[in-house]
Parts: sequence; structure tokens; C-alpha cells
Amino acid sequence: MSQASLQVEHLTLRRNGVAVLDDVSLHLPAGQTLALIGESGAGKSTLAYAAMGLVRPPEVQLQGRLMVGDVDVVTAPERVLRPLRGVRMGMIFQDASAALNPCFSVLSHLSEPLQRHRGLSKAACKARAIELLASVGIADPVSRLQAYPHELSGGMQQRVMIAMALACEPQLLIADEPTSALDVTIQAQIMALLLDRVRALGASAIFVLHDLALATQVADRVAVMYAGQIVEEGPAAEVLNHPRHPYTQGLRASAIEFDAERLQPIAGVVPPLSAMPGGCRFAPRCALASARCSAEKPELAAHDTVRVACWNL
Amino acid sequence: MKPDTQPLALPVSTARTAPTGSNAPTAHQALPLFSLLDVEKSFPVDGGRRQLRALDGIRLTLQAGESLALVGESGSGKSTLVRVMLGLESATNGRVLYGANEPASFSAAQHRRFAREVAYIYQDARGSLNPRMSVAEVLAEPVRLHALRDEGEIPARVDELLAMVGLPTDVRHKFPSELSGGQVRRVAVARALACEPKVIVADESVAGLDVSVQAQLLNLLRDLQRDHGLAMVFVTHDLGVAAYLCERVAVMYLGRIVETGPTREVLQAPLHPYTQALMNAFPRFDAPLSVSLQGEIPSASNLPKGCRFRSRCVFASEECQQTDPAQMSYSALRQVACLTPLTPLAAVVPA
Amino acid sequence: MLADSNIRASGPSPWQRLTRHLMRSWQLLRRQQKAMAGMGIVLAFVVAAVFAPVLAPYPPTEQNFMDAMQGPSAQHWMGTDSFGQDILSRVFYGARSALWIGFASVALGLVVGVAVGLLAGLRGGRTEWVLMRVVDGLLAFPELIMAMAFMAVLGLGMNNVILALALSFVGPFARTVRADVLQVKARPFIEAARLMGVPEREIVRRHVLPNIASPILIQAGMRISIAILLASGLSFLGLGVVPPTPDWGLMIAEGRGFVSMAPWMAGMPGLALATLLIGLNLMAEGLRDALDPKTRGDKP
Repeated sequence: MSQASLQVEHLTLRRNGVAVLDDVSLHLPAGQTLALIGESGAGKSTLAYAAMGLVRPPEVQLQGRLMVGDVDVVTAPERVLRPLRGVRMGMIFQDASAALNPCFSVLSHLSEPLQRHRGLSKAACKARAIELLASVGIADPVSRLQAYPHELSGGMQQRVMIAMALACEPQLLIADEPTSALDVTIQAQIMALLLDRVRALGASAIFVLHDLALATQVADRVAVMYAGQIVEEGPAAEVLNHPRHPYTQGLRASAIEFDAERLQPIAGVVPPLSAMPGGCRFAPRCALASARCSAEKPELAAHDTVRVACWNL
Repeated sequence: MKPDTQPLALPVSTARTAPTGSNAPTAHQALPLFSLLDVEKSFPVDGGRRQLRALDGIRLTLQAGESLALVGESGSGKSTLVRVMLGLESATNGRVLYGANEPASFSAAQHRRFAREVAYIYQDARGSLNPRMSVAEVLAEPVRLHALRDEGEIPARVDELLAMVGLPTDVRHKFPSELSGGQVRRVAVARALACEPKVIVADESVAGLDVSVQAQLLNLLRDLQRDHGLAMVFVTHDLGVAAYLCERVAVMYLGRIVETGPTREVLQAPLHPYTQALMNAFPRFDAPLSVSLQGEIPSASNLPKGCRFRSRCVFASEECQQTDPAQMSYSALRQVACLTPLTPLAAVVPA
Repeated sequence: MLADSNIRASGPSPWQRLTRHLMRSWQLLRRQQKAMAGMGIVLAFVVAAVFAPVLAPYPPTEQNFMDAMQGPSAQHWMGTDSFGQDILSRVFYGARSALWIGFASVALGLVVGVAVGLLAGLRGGRTEWVLMRVVDGLLAFPELIMAMAFMAVLGLGMNNVILALALSFVGPFARTVRADVLQVKARPFIEAARLMGVPEREIVRRHVLPNIASPILIQAGMRISIAILLASGLSFLGLGVVPPTPDWGLMIAEGRGFVSMAPWMAGMPGLALATLLIGLNLMAEGLRDALDPKTRGDKP
């Protein structure tokens, strides 16, 4: 199974004239998992959708390169991308109940990618569907084939969605907050399942998460996003346990841990995308901000194994 | 209303969990604010053929100034429990007492006092505000209603409330639709404080918020609770939030309180297997991913015989399949509903 | 406990709140191009109607057989009809009857319909059941047919047209209002107010009513164009306003027989009617877009 890596170079995505993603660059080696961390509006979901080629002109304007394997999603036409979606790249959405079509049974959902991309016959689809459901931990898969989404619990629906995404054995799996809507005990099961399946396929994975602790548990690498930019990126344990960028430090200090004495929230609010300050976007909220921070935008620079965009290091 | 002298079936040892039998006004201090005795709540489903047992055998008390977290996953019944406490739903069985009286049989004056002393912050904070009322009007309403200030002092009080929750005063003319999610929640908190309550009941007030906004709100709630000596009932699915905010925690599973006690103790040395599984499932910076619990939560309309947790419990024994354990006192401060709690009975270390 | 009068909500007076609310609505409305265009058209017609005596070049009922059936010209911008009456002047005066009937019938139907719907929605139970069955009865008839029946019973004339149309609007308004009331009653802030101890009467006044006002106004706006169309229809059928009152429906009826020879006789009033209706609809839609929380871009 060949592996795909993700290479993003100076990607800028504009919607209605506003830069939702600003000069984003990162590299995910094949076979590794990356967590995109950030608060709402940071652009992490947008980046994930862009990697799937789901955000395209004319709704948005794209600049830069986004390579999935050897295909540049930014410039590739739709007819090149369509066969790749579901085959080379698979996606899992946050709200399984909204992502599954209530009119179709589980078997129909699973058959769709199999028939479309692999051209399997009905019988072969059924057999493969049973295999897939078993691989995602659904007990008694045969009885579930004819079930409709509303008859399944949240955890089950998510498993079905994972099975769909993995049906054609993609090389890159993208999961947008896959467990936010689930109970925490189910969350652990689902994340473990995802990791297990991804490793079995030797695929790369991108998880969009808002839970920092979960990111340390599931990801090899982490990219912290703020206001459409990547501010820190590197091995997960290093970035989240020894944060260097003030924003990452702020996130860590706000995160609840069982023995936290006092949470330290980050002062201020994220400025609206249409009114971003020049220079470092985090400067207005940063205790270390200097004149240079407000004037010049810091680029990602290497510090040991981590890349950080900050003048104060 | 006669004070409650009903004997409880199982030994429940201390004054913390049984209301004292006096109805003299001065004994109000010792009376818990809320007492729930063997409360049950069922909903008919399937056209009445089956019962969904949302609450079963709940025993709970809340003292003045105490902060209690109700922790549970979906189907645990925590939201239903809160609604029963507030009188929004009536219990199918058992007794709910506020002070010495049952909310269901309050007189108008008692009802008014209850409305003033117990403030509820909805999970859907935005939905709980009238979209056609400005922030100032929203905050003034309870103040006016309970005649807490003269008409001329109300604008100053509104400003005071806004300052308490960290909102700038220019928010007073805005309408809920013009505020962000975090601001709306703060307005909901301010409104709860406006009637100068004794108890604040909050339902998942920080769920779905960004980490930093969540931290701000948690700090705010914690400070307010401590500064004003308020009792608080906080419903959450997040053990971390419970640990941060509340001194006591009650863990719920499928309508039963499976464990209660001081939060630190319960989290450091859980007695019930479910509490431990919940602890282990929580993402932590210093521990790897741990799948502590297999299987799905059973449906509350189809409860298994015996202990409701046995289908997922690694310690389940023969007896667990037969007997449904009720809340039992384990130590002075802790209770657990389990036939084989995790720490042996002898080795208890009271707080 | 303090006297009840102190507890009863004071605060900003209803007028202050109304003006503040109107200002806010106006600001929202201004951003809608559709509404502005619609309002412009409607305003033009209102001006034409109000200032008809000043604007009309000829008295509307002045007959001049010498100039009968003339096409549009410098003396008669819209031509003349079979009696030699100036069509432009009649169109201006016709705007009067159209607008008056439209607003008056909707206002009347609104008052009665809202009262019925409010009572049904708030009371529930048997009251609601009885009222809604009555409304169902009213709704069973198409509005035009019902109006025609009423006109047959009440006789012709503008006032009767207003009454007939108002009656046919009671049903739709009552049904909409009841549905809105039920919807509002189910929202969390109503329960929250009750939990806070707000008395039931105050809940209705302060929490329910303001939240059904917008949907009702939008409905009313849309009904006006229906009313005008229905009124013209009734007049066209000879069951509405009595000749020689300048009325667009009547004018279209009169012009019907001369369509090949003098198409402007029916064409001009028809054009005026169509334009006014478009203007009203644009305005109502723009109002809805401006006031509907979903489409006006509120924060989630």
C-alpha cells in the first residue's frame, strides 16, 4: 500500500475577500497522524476540507500548493479530484447523524463508495460491508446492514461513518472533530478504533480537535492554529507539554486538568477575520508583545524539533 | 407541612444525608436546602406499554453554600434530576423537599420565595433569553419582580450585575442576537444572580465553548460561588469541570446515583467501577489513550435485571446479575451503589 | 410584601420601547435593497392616491365623448376610455380605492384574527378546540368565493368589500397567530420566565406578544397585496365597487370588451395593479428578510 504524505505550501484561502487561511505551510510525512488544534474560527476545519478538495473556486480563491501524494489539490480539476475522494482521501465528519442520509440503510451507505470506486457487484459489496462493519467493532454486523441511521446510537453511527471512509482503503484520512458529539467513554473507544484502523492501513491521518489532552493521546504531530495561521507545529508531546508560542501556552493554561489550581484564560478575544491586525495576529492579546510584533509578521522558525512563529524566542 | 420523619430502608448514617425532624424556623440552618428521598421518575414510551426509568432511587441532599456536581453521560438522567428538583417535572415516586416543604404543594408566597432563592441557568443560554428584550431589560426583570431595588436604583444594579460577570456596560442596550456565545452565557449567569439566590443550578453551562472562554466562565462561576456563599448544582459530563468547580460530586449512570462524595476523593480513589472507567476515559496530558469501557449504554426503557452497570462492568459477579444495589453509605462523606466497591470496606480514609 | 402596583413591571414605557424597536427595525430594513425598491413603488402609489386631486389632470368622472377611445397622447398620457374619461386620472383615483380597501380590510381582519388566534393559543384545551374548528370552517372556502358570497348577501359598495375581505382574512390570521403562539410558548425563555416567578399575565404581555409581532406584521404585509387583488377581482366581476367609482377592477372590466381596439383601457389599470402588487410583495419579502432572525445574519 503506497502512502501519501500531505504537503501544504503557502496556502492562502480567501472567502469573500477575507483570508480564512493565511500562508499556511506544513508537512505531514506518510503514515503519521497530525492534530490541528485551535479555537473556533481558527481555520482548522477549513484546512481539513481544503485538503479534501471540498473548498474550491468559485466560492473561494486559493493560492499556494496543497499536495496530497503527487496531486496538487489547488490546481487539479474536479475530474481528477473526484476519483480520489473516498479512495485516496477519506473524511469523517463531526456529526454522524447529520452526515448519514436518513433515507438509506447502512448497506446502501457502504455500497456507494464500493460500487462507485471499486465497481463491486452487489454480492461483493454486501460481503465487504460485513467485513468493514466487523472491523469497526460493530457486533453482529449482518443484522445491522438493513438498519437506518436513526435506529443507531451516536457511537454506532460514527462507526458506520468510519467504515464508509475506510471502505476503499484511503491513504489519507481526515477526521473533523470525530468524537465531540459523543460521550467520553465512547470517545475513547472510537479514537482507539480510528488509530488502530489507520495504522493497519499504514495511512496518514489529520484530526481536527479542540481537546488538547486528546491531541497528545492520539497524534504524532500537532499544528496549533490561530486566526487562519499556524503558530506552532511539531511533535505532539513536545508542543503541548512544552509550549513555546504564547498562544499555545495560553491554551495549555486554560485547559482543565484534574489538579489545576486556577485556570488562566487568554485575555481578549479573537479579532474578526475582516479586521485582522497587521504584524503578528496574536500581538494584541500577548503579554510579550513588542513593537516589532505589531509591525512584522513572524514566520515559522525552527527551534529544535518544533517550528514556532514568534519574535520572542 | 409536616417535617419528614420517614425512615430510610438502608443505613444512611449522618445528618448530612437525613433532614432533621424539626420545623422550627431556627433549625433552618441544619435543614438541607434540597432533599431528595428515593425519587423516581418514569416516562411512558411506546404508547404506554413500557416505562422509561429516567430516575430511580435517587437520594441526595444539598446544604447551604455547598457546590455539587452531577456528572453523567447521556441517558444518565442528570438533566431530568435537575428538572425534578426545580419542580418543572413531578417525581413519579419519592419525595423532593425544598427546606421542609415539597415544591409541588407550595403556596403562592412559598412559590415566589422558591423562584427567588433558586436560579436556573439553562444549557441553551441563548434560548433562555427573550430575543426581544435588551440585556438591561433581561437583568432588570427579576430585580423588579422580587422588588429587590427601588425603580430608580435599577440601572445601577444592572451595571453592578454586568460588572460581576465581567461584561462591559455598553452591552446593556444590546439584544441577545447581537452577543457572542460566551457573552450570552454571562448574561444568563448575571440574570441568575440578579434575584440574589441561595442556590444556582446550572446545566452544562460550559459545554461547547472554546477552551479560553470556558476557562473564563469557570473562573467566574467558581469565584461567584465562593464570594457569595451560594449553593450550586452543576450538571456536566466533564469530570474535570466537576473537579474544578465543585466540592462534592454525584456520579450518575442510567438514572441512579452510583457514587457521591467529596470530588477530590472520589476522583483520586473511585469506589464504583463506572467512576473509575469515566476517570480513565478522560483525555489527560500525562496518560495514554485508554479504552476503559466497552459496549454501549443500554436503553433506559429496557434495563437489565440486577445492577444496571453489569453489562459493561469487568468486576460483575453472579450477585450483580440478581441484585440492584441502592445507594449505601460507605463512609461519613461518601456513598456508593455497588455490591463490590473498588476499595475494600475496611480500608476507608475519611476526608 | 410590597403592593402589587410596585411589582407590576414598569421600566421603559411601551412607547419608548416601540420607538426603539421601530428604529432598530428600520436600520435592518434599510440594508435590504428589495424592501427599499418595494417601498419606493408603494410610496409612489400612496403619493398618487393621496394627492390625486392635485396630480390628476382631469376630474376622473368627467366624460368627453369627443375624445373617447383615444390612445396615449400629450393631453391624455394614458389615453381615454369609452366615455372619454382620462385614464391617468382614473388610475390615480383608483389607487385610492385600492390602497384603502387593501389596508382597511387587512387591518380589520388582523384585529379579529389575532384576537381569535391569541385566545386559542394561550388558553388551549376546549377553548382552543372550539375556536380552531370555527377557523377551519372559515378556511374551508377560497377567499374569493367567500367574499363573493358575502357581497351577495351584504350588497355592493366599498365598505361591504372591506367587510367581506376582512372576514375572509380572519381565518388565515387566526391560524398563523395560534401557530406562532404555540411555537413561542415552547421556547426555553418562557419556561425560564415562569421559573423565575413571572406571573402568567406578564409572561403573555412581555414575552409572548413581542415575539409574535414580527411574523404577524409580515403576514399582514403580504395579505395587503392579496386584498388588493381580490378587491379588483370582485370589482371586475361586478360584485365590488359600484361604477362610476374609479376602480382598477372596474376599469379592466370595462376595457375588456375593447381589448383589440383600445388595449390601453384595460392595459393601463392592469399595469398599475401589477406594479403595485410587485411593490407590495417586494416590501413584504424585504421586511421578512430583515426581521427573520435566520436571514438577517445574527450570531449563532
